Amino acid sequence: MNTHPYLRAYLAGTFIPTLVLPLLLTFVVIRLVERVPIPVEQALIFPMTVVPLLWGLWNMLWLCSNERTHLPLGLHGAVLPLLLMPAGASLATCLGVLKIGADDVVWFQVAHVPYALIAPMFLAALAGYYLVWKYIVGFLNRLLGIA
Amino acid sequence: MNEHHENRIKQLLQQAMPPVEGDPEPSRDPWPAVLRRIDAQPAKPAGVSWSLFDSALLAGLVALVALFPASIPVFLYYL
Repeated sequence: MNTHPYLRAYLAGTFIPTLVLPLLLTFVVIRLVERVPIPVEQALIFPMTVVPLLWGLWNMLWLCSNERTHLPLGLHGAVLPLLLMPAGASLATCLGVLKIGADDVVWFQVAHVPYALIAPMFLAALAGYYLVWKYIVGFLNRLLGIA
Repeated sequence: MNEHHENRIKQLLQQAMPPVEGDPEPSRDPWPAVLRRIDAQPAKPAGVSWSLFDSALLAGLVALVALFPASIPVFLYYL
């Protein structure tokens, strides 16, 4: 299995976001059945399109640069939220998914996140990405013969 | 190739490869000992090993999610 390493890296990178998609789609079903006034469809644009694409490209970038940088995969993955979070927040604001208030930000019209909680959430996202990339994406890379 | 040449080649081969002194066969079958040594070796970890630092990160992440459940949909948004 020595051919198409970048294709395999892309597939390994998109694995986790692809697994999360059916979970997100259940929110759409709940919204349609229960008629919950939450803009789920707009909220799904980012995780259904941008996130899998960036995860795949990010893993390809790691494969491409690893021989020069020797950066561990976990650290490489932990850098991704630095790109994803501003992009996701910008798109969510444009689509009306994220509303910026005086004391907090409101996600999906229901989840109130105080400003004081944004920094810990950002650090938690870095930690979560670090663990997912180190263990799950790393496992997939080894399984597909690119790590 | 006449008989003289054959004898000469035989003689050269015998000089190059001296006979094994003593009993050429091992006193016992070594294969079970090889198997025992293979079984005795600890299995290599399949991937990276779980560290204390990673446990702390996971604990912090779980604690944040437990204390602020409103963060769950936000995290899902970025996955």
